[in-house]
Amino acid sequence: MGIPLNIDWQQILLHLMNFAILAGALYFLLYKPVKDFMDKRQAHYQELDDEAKKKIAEADALKASYEDQLAKARDAIAAERAQAAKDNKEAADRQLAEAKKQADRIIAEARAEAERDNERLLHDSQDAMKELVAAATERLMMKNDDKAIDLFLDSVEKKQKKEQEAGA
Amino acid sequence: MKNRKKGVILWLLIVALLLVAALACSSPAGEEESVQAAMRDAVLHDINRISLFGIKDVNPGLISAFSVTGILIIVSVLIRILVIPRFTYIPGRFQLLLETLVGAFDGMAKENSPHRNKGLGLYIFTAGVYIFASTIFELFGLQAVTTEGISIALPAPLSDVNAAIALGCLSYLFIVCGGIMQNGLTGVGRALKEFSLPISMSFRLFGALLSGLLVTELVYYYITLSFVLPVVIGVLFTLLHALIQSYVLTMLTALYYGEVTEPVIKKGKNHEA
Repeated sequence: MGIPLNIDWQQILLHLMNFAILAGALYFLLYKPVKDFMDKRQAHYQELDDEAKKKIAEADALKASYEDQLAKARDAIAAERAQAAKDNKEAADRQLAEAKKQADRIIAEARAEAERDNERLLHDSQDAMKELVAAATERLMMKNDDKAIDLFLDSVEKKQKKEQEAGA
Repeated sequence: MKNRKKGVILWLLIVALLLVAALACSSPAGEEESVQAAMRDAVLHDINRISLFGIKDVNPGLISAFSVTGILIIVSVLIRILVIPRFTYIPGRFQLLLETLVGAFDGMAKENSPHRNKGLGLYIFTAGVYIFASTIFELFGLQAVTTEGISIALPAPLSDVNAAIALGCLSYLFIVCGGIMQNGLTGVGRALKEFSLPISMSFRLFGALLSGLLVTELVYYYITLSFVLPVVIGVLFTLLHALIQSYVLTMLTALYYGEVTEPVIKKGKNHEA
């Protein structure tokens, strides 16, 4: 009695042999070279990735260091600025005090000079006044003399007229 | 380098052993059946037989299997010589296709059998490529002359029950071997628990491929159905079968392999955890 479905062990074994040949050939010709290449590429990119990560870590460390330096520089700048402001204020106060002192001196000098001028002007005006009074007196006196003469001349004239009228 | 040599020697040994076994094993004395219908012949292949180099009359499926292997090897050699040396880190289309193919099966092996997958990737890659290529092979309709002098189109190798049994049993053996290597007797126990696996795997393949063949045979049997319809049938029963069956067998093999190669966790340790 034959095996159902026309099953043939010899042919099954030949199929197995065929598959074994195919497996071996595909392994050496296709599977292994492609897989090796994929592994190689993966290793290459892994290496690149590791390198990039290392560089990033270095850059982070550098950045932290720079930030630290920057913070220190900012602190130094702030301290310098505060010191400069303090110095400026002191200088300004000093200059202000000096200016005030100078102004006081100028005022005092001006006041003294003004007083001196005042005195001088007063003295001058008194002299001028004296001279004016003298001149005025003199003029007045001179003026009064002319009037007396005029009065005399007028009276003389009037007398002569009266005498003439009377004569007439 | 030593391991590579060992691998080559082992491979040649297996091939030689299988050849000797195949030649030594005599074919069963099948009783003559008067099969008239083309359908019956498509299933049993007992009328249209082809002479294998004058040694033995075999099913057309075996000739198809050898042809598929030959074509695949030639294509692989061409790829190995012309394409692989020109691989670049930024892949082109064909390189991407090859990498996706290898990567998909390798990934499937690693995903389904994380504890032991050395060899599994290659096995399911070969099985997947073989099932896909042998199913597509049917579409080309390569002609062969039977012992009776009739010209026939070579069928898909896996529509021959012998090829399906060979692949199903080989997958089961591979799973059993993985279990033994990983877990010893426990692995064998786990694999034997799934005793129906070789039968289910074999006949799933056989049934799926045979159904496609039968439908195609039916369509071609009637001249009136031979217009337009074969295109739909060809796509449905050949291309889809090629994809689905490749996926199913490789997935099942990887899944069961992963199951039997899972490390044994002792109960005491489990309770402690």
